[in-house]
Amino acid sequence: MTAPTARRRALLTARRRGLLSTATGALWFFGPLAALVAAWAVAVRVSGVEMRVFPQVTDVLGALGDLWSSGDLFRHLGASLRRAGLGMALALVTGLPFGVALGASRVLSAFFLPLLRFSVALAGIAWIPIATLWFGYGDRAVIFIVWNAMFFALTYNAMLGVRQIPVEVLRAARSMGTGRLRMFWEVLLPGALPSIVTGLRVGLGYGWRGLVAAEIIATNAGLGYALFQAQKYFQTDVIIASMVIIGVLWLLMDRLLLAPLERRTVERWGMTGAGDR
Amino acid sequence: MTALKIDRLRKVYTDTYSGEEVTAIDDVSFSVRKGEFVSVLGPSGCGKTTVLNIVAGFVRQSGGTVVVDGRPVDGPGPDRGVVFQSHALFPWKTVLGNVVFGLRMRKVPRAERNARGEEFLKLVGLEGFAHRYPHELSGGMQQRLGVARVLANEPAVMLMDEPFASIDAQTRRRLQEDLTGIFETRRPTVFFVTHDVDEAVFLSDRIVVLSRRPSRVREIVDVALPRPRRWQEAAELPEFRRIANRVNELLGDDEGAGAGAGAGDGGARGGEAGGEPDAA
Repeated sequence: MTAPTARRRALLTARRRGLLSTATGALWFFGPLAALVAAWAVAVRVSGVEMRVFPQVTDVLGALGDLWSSGDLFRHLGASLRRAGLGMALALVTGLPFGVALGASRVLSAFFLPLLRFSVALAGIAWIPIATLWFGYGDRAVIFIVWNAMFFALTYNAMLGVRQIPVEVLRAARSMGTGRLRMFWEVLLPGALPSIVTGLRVGLGYGWRGLVAAEIIATNAGLGYALFQAQKYFQTDVIIASMVIIGVLWLLMDRLLLAPLERRTVERWGMTGAGDR
Repeated sequence: MTALKIDRLRKVYTDTYSGEEVTAIDDVSFSVRKGEFVSVLGPSGCGKTTVLNIVAGFVRQSGGTVVVDGRPVDGPGPDRGVVFQSHALFPWKTVLGNVVFGLRMRKVPRAERNARGEEFLKLVGLEGFAHRYPHELSGGMQQRLGVARVLANEPAVMLMDEPFASIDAQTRRRLQEDLTGIFETRRPTVFFVTHDVDEAVFLSDRIVVLSRRPSRVREIVDVALPRPRRWQEAAELPEFRRIANRVNELLGDDEGAGAGAGAGDGGARGGEAGGEPDAA
């Protein structure tokens, strides 16, 4: 009975190889970032620029430490994440059904497509002035901007995704007695998912940027708010620290939200090809 | 008993570029009895797939009627299951999920539909693959799944649109034998569209030969070959060759080169290599 031992050994090598690939993966992930930080440290030192123009790495770390210990970091983070979450959730529940409907109906898409193309160019920050007139200064205007920044990209990609479903697949479903509502959940939505994931990636990026820009109109907290406040007092270290946090959060969102979603759906189903990485 | 009756079917398209009216199907009538295997054959572009699409309810006819199980066809429905050339499986569903899809749509309870799903997977030789995804199967296995997905619904007619055309020649022969085996044990009613003469003779009880577009029925050829059929014996029978020659003649009158040339040849095309499992 050597089979079980052989299998265990194979499993162990597989696990070791898995660890190794996570290690190289981490290296490829953090390596470029470390190189950037090193280049920054050297550049500031060699050029001798003043701190009010560009802070040294250690200054920014200090600012991060201060933000952490004062609790401001979590106040800003909490406010931003709440606004982002609400805006993005709203964009999902409105954009996905609308996009799928556009993809399924020639008449609807013929009517809305020109409007959609027009709106994509304007989505997000161009709406900040009017949003403040509608909602005043504060949370609701910011959430509106996040929703707006994301909605069009999501709608557009959901529509494209539905259009890419082969007609035979739709016919197969219909010839098995699939009603309209079930068609949406069982066929159109999963069938469009490769393109929807692309839309999510693009849309979340737009939404995140929209959030930071829109927080210029926020009244008390938020990463964007911290950024604009720091500018008022020439605190370049706080500015750069906020920017770092904003970038890192985006990376985390991509790694923890989008990548697992892709792995569990589109990649598992062998539907990759439409999504970019 | 008649399962499918096509009466004076006519289809006129309006060409989108020239705006001209094109008659694809002029006048087609024939019927399929319950438990009968009928193939429709014709020169390429003769509109045989259009006939199938009208029967399936995907395309509306310009004239004539299609009656399935006593009811006139109006749109797609679960009484007519379709096996497509492109398989048209749902990539986001497991193999079992694909087979029970129609049963779920008809609200069959889970335990019953899973049992039925497993039964039909076994019938097509896919037991043990229930929890795989379609992209993990070879082309031949994917089409077996396409057949199981339709049969599990027990439709009045199974419509097959050149189901083996995109599969390599050796696998195709296996699939034809397996389909014949399934047909001989279960006796579903089958409406089979193909351009492969040998395939039509091997599988069918009758062959409807269509003329070139605008299509009409040229002749309906009876295939009085004994069942069960295996390739090795059937292809040797003088009757097999006689029918195949007759069908080729009918097609040849219409089209310079016979439509089904190279039918069932022993693996000249090296498509996907050795994708079929040993179990059958």
